[in-house]
Amino acid sequence: MARFDYLEPHSLDEALQMLADRGDQARLVAGSTDFLVRWRTGVWRPESVVCMQHVPGLDYIRWNPDDGLAIGAMATVQDIEQNADVRRHYPALAAGATAFAGVQVRNLATVAGNVCNASPAGDTLPALLACNAQCLIVSSTGQRWLPLDELFVGPGQTALNPGEILSELRLPTPAPNTGGLYVKHSPRGAMDISAVGAASVVSLSDDGSCSSVRIALGAVAPTPIRAYGAEGRLVGQQPTAANLAEAARLSAQSCNPIADVRSGADYRREIARVLTERTLRHAVATAGNAPDFADIRRLAVQTAW
Amino acid sequence: MTTEFKVLEQNHPRVDAYEKVTGRATYASDVYLPGMLACKLLPSARNHARIVSIDTTQAAALPGVRAVITGADFPDVRFGSGALRDRYVMPREVVNFVGEPIAAVAADDEATAEEAVELIKVEYEDIPSVVNPLAAMVDGAASVHPDLEDYEGYGFTMGHNVSTLLDADRGDVEQAFRDADVVVEDVYRSQGINQGFLEPMACVADVEPGGRLVIYASTQGPYPVRASLAAVLEMPVSRVRIVPMELGGGFGAKLRLAFEAFPALLAMRTGRPVKLVNTREEVFTMNGPRLPVTNYIRSGVMKDGTITAREAYTIFDVGAYLGAGPNSGIGHGIGAYRIPNFRLRSYGVYTNKIYVGSYRASGVADMTFAVESHMDHIAHEIGVDPYELRLQNALREGDVSVSGAVVPGNGLIETLEAVKERIDWPRELEDGHGIGLALCEWRSGSGPSTAAISVNDDGTVSLLTGSVDISGSDTSLAAIAAEALGIPMEKVIVAKRDTDLAPYTGQSGGSRIVYSQGTAVQRAAEDTVQKLMALAAERLGVPEDALGCEDGRVYVMDNEPQGLTFAQLAAASVTSRGGPIIGTASLSSMPYTPVFAAQAAEVKVDRDTGQVKVLRYIQAQDVGVAINPMAVEGQLDGGVVQGIGRALTEDQQFDPDTGAVRNPSFASYLMPLAIDLPEIEDVLIRVPAEDGPFGARAVAEPPGFGPPAAIANAVYDAVGVRVKQLPLSGERVLAALNGEYDDIPFDVAALRRAEGIG
Ligand SMILES: Cc1cc2nc3c(=O)[nH]c(=O)nc-3n(C[C@H](O)[C@H](O)[C@H](O)COP(=O)(O)OP(=O)(O)OC[C@H]3O[C@@H](n4cnc5c(N)ncnc54)[C@H](O)[C@@H]3O)c2cc1C
Repeated sequence: MARFDYLEPHSLDEALQMLADRGDQARLVAGSTDFLVRWRTGVWRPESVVCMQHVPGLDYIRWNPDDGLAIGAMATVQDIEQNADVRRHYPALAAGATAFAGVQVRNLATVAGNVCNASPAGDTLPALLACNAQCLIVSSTGQRWLPLDELFVGPGQTALNPGEILSELRLPTPAPNTGGLYVKHSPRGAMDISAVGAASVVSLSDDGSCSSVRIALGAVAPTPIRAYGAEGRLVGQQPTAANLAEAARLSAQSCNPIADVRSGADYRREIARVLTERTLRHAVATAGNAPDFADIRRLAVQTAW
Repeated sequence: MTTEFKVLEQNHPRVDAYEKVTGRATYASDVYLPGMLACKLLPSARNHARIVSIDTTQAAALPGVRAVITGADFPDVRFGSGALRDRYVMPREVVNFVGEPIAAVAADDEATAEEAVELIKVEYEDIPSVVNPLAAMVDGAASVHPDLEDYEGYGFTMGHNVSTLLDADRGDVEQAFRDADVVVEDVYRSQGINQGFLEPMACVADVEPGGRLVIYASTQGPYPVRASLAAVLEMPVSRVRIVPMELGGGFGAKLRLAFEAFPALLAMRTGRPVKLVNTREEVFTMNGPRLPVTNYIRSGVMKDGTITAREAYTIFDVGAYLGAGPNSGIGHGIGAYRIPNFRLRSYGVYTNKIYVGSYRASGVADMTFAVESHMDHIAHEIGVDPYELRLQNALREGDVSVSGAVVPGNGLIETLEAVKERIDWPRELEDGHGIGLALCEWRSGSGPSTAAISVNDDGTVSLLTGSVDISGSDTSLAAIAAEALGIPMEKVIVAKRDTDLAPYTGQSGGSRIVYSQGTAVQRAAEDTVQKLMALAAERLGVPEDALGCEDGRVYVMDNEPQGLTFAQLAAASVTSRGGPIIGTASLSSMPYTPVFAAQAAEVKVDRDTGQVKVLRYIQAQDVGVAINPMAVEGQLDGGVVQGIGRALTEDQQFDPDTGAVRNPSFASYLMPLAIDLPEIEDVLIRVPAEDGPFGARAVAEPPGFGPPAAIANAVYDAVGVRVKQLPLSGERVLAALNGEYDDIPFDVAALRRAEGIG
């Protein structure tokens, strides 16, 4: 149990300064749900810990039709799961949040922490990718915007530089005729790391064809990934069963999974195909409807359908 | 029948309910003594290696560190938890598994102790190791215990890495197989299973001024712990006192000496109390789980469904040491059936991984998975209904069990019938849905059991036993005492106990507390009543046979108003010739009393992912008499939950090269959650046992046996594939659906040859 200095900034600027002063010897924490595990097992041994719990004003979730959804750095997964705008406009993200751990952990864990932790299995990540999230990154010297899929560099690795904080995630407002879903594959109905996760967000044109398709997968590659090949196969096409099945097949081809205690690589690839197809079908079937959260909750963790 | 009881067959909240729900129950980790030090352990990094050197100087020099010990600090004595004395409490020269504790530190606080552990430098010299038990049995395999034949207790001599071989034979097996219409053969494999109890092991060791050692422990077996601890420290048992604290679950994992010796020796070295609270990771990597079991099983069957022959070879991986056992699996190779000819073999095989421990009737769940899956296989092979096949071959009263005991009256058939009715068998189901059955058999446990009851002068009684409360057993014992004494439950005080105070009693495990210990309590209560009657006779001046005893009062049968209450008698006893009233009883061995349970699972299989969901689970068990129905159902439900975990998700995995535990946490060792479980429906069958308190049978262990087979059979019913390896993960079921599932290789011919058979 390594010792560390514990720092409690009361503003974002103060936090940024503390990080700037200490360089890579400091570790920022939000909900600490990843931090505590890594620290106790000795994986992370920072000299100092900068805790954001007492920085006010960062736990916002705001939505309006023009700017879309803004998620502050301290908004928890439970806040997201409970948020009416999220449930209404971003059902895939609501699914990712409800599939995540259990209520106690969701109450602590932040979405930004899930992103910055950059686990390939992070449950909100495929949905955020499929919702085309952008990252607002701040530091003591300025700020920049980065598309989420450029943030993930490797397992647990991001494009953040030492001293940078992800202060906001921004999700554009979906086109009118859009549906989406995230499904987590897990042997257990809650409190489990996903073996595979898949999110699809599909917008349909007036003629019923797919005007925009985003498919993202978790736990099948070193980072969460977009299945660009599968997306490209569908755009401009009618979402027929055959087309969706073909897209799902292509989606599985984007995977580069590992084998571990949870499952073998081939099984992961196969499940990625099944989940892609199921989420695509659901997205198409519900496009333009008001999402039913009870339905989402039932579908979000796939133990057996 | 049930109406004749005043206390039994009624629901009683636990006698310790207040302590538990208010959080005031005291567990070993709640013990704080002045000057107490914290203990941490150094695990071995290798699975088979000579310890060239352990350098503890830096650790010992760290400020706040009070003592560091290694194997060399213990007396040079081997001890054993199972049949053989095959281990040192801390290895002296050779480590046998990754995680084996090889040094311990006592420091002012946990953080310092942890820091000190990291400063210990160990130099290893690797020795060839073996991890797979089937490979370990082959000539030329690395030897886990080269000196095996010198070990005390070793008597069977059967070759390579085999710690124990149990056998049971009856009839002419070869002839019966030749005469059979059909021969069905299978190999099944079950996985490593962690007991998954809530409270990690914990203990506090203290040395009394006179030099006696006191251990506050989380244990199911204070007396076995005392015996082993005294042995490894070379002290007489009388120099050790074990104080069992509240038990936060054990399921067999806390039956024997765990880590108590380390804080004990550290306390002796430092003269200060020392506390060790294990982490979950230590529970997974240092304390014996169940290890994988491979079961070869073959049956000779007649076209009419009669099973005439059975051969079963079971390979129990026992890891580095026989932490338990050898195993109770042997007799279960024929299951709950009358099979006239059988050859059963069960091998315990050493490997370089964590040693095997006990878990809720160790080995029987593995055997039941094999036997009950095999029963369905037979049924499909000869085209009979799996239910009818079971009914036809089920043991009946008067049959002879594997052990040779005659089967007494029991409710086996009733359990089968009850489950058939509840699940509505046979039934057409929608695609992907299926129903499966399993029949479980077990026996009520014996072992040293003692009880003493003293009567207090307010009419209450104090019940003293040496058994540790496990899942409400104190409440059941109180109920038995109350029933036998004719007083309400509230008037029975269950005394706190330790090994100085309480009469010697066996472990709380093996389905023995209510059956055996309960019988001792019943007899102690009867002894108490007899003494109360004798005193009353003396005081009332009437012969004893003129007296009755009811509702806490002894009275003259011809003249009911004339009598004395227990309170009056207790007060009178103090000045009586016989003195204060105390009734006692002791027993060790109880007659064979079987326990049977039938179970049924209804499942849904996702054909695309292979995932199995249990929709309904029904169990019927012959409990004889339900001492406390609420507690009985708690036991039944808990067992099924553990069984469903074993069937579907739980899987303690080991690195194939190093034997190290790959998933030492609840984040990767997946026990089912409430959200994963179906409603479990319990049917209590009551065919009173000839022995046992008021006709009660053991309850605890059988419910966990059935789910793996019932669910595997239901999966077969649903989608027509048979998975013979646990857990039935989505991955395995999907592979089977795709025809990519391989049978498990097993060289039975080699085992037969080794015995000169065939
Ligand atoms: C019991 C348990 C169950 C879990 N189950 C799940 C699950 O089902 N699904 C899942 O996806 N995850 C799960 N997790 C992992 C974890 O809860 C999530 O990754 C969580 O979202 C992390 O958020 P946090 O606020 O707790 O992050 P912290 O632990 O505080 O930080 C995590 C990492 O992100 C960095 N970080 C945090 N916020 C920022 C920021 N604003 N800017 C820059 N860097 C930042 C930290 O420096 C650290 O490296 C589980 C964890 C536990 C302990």
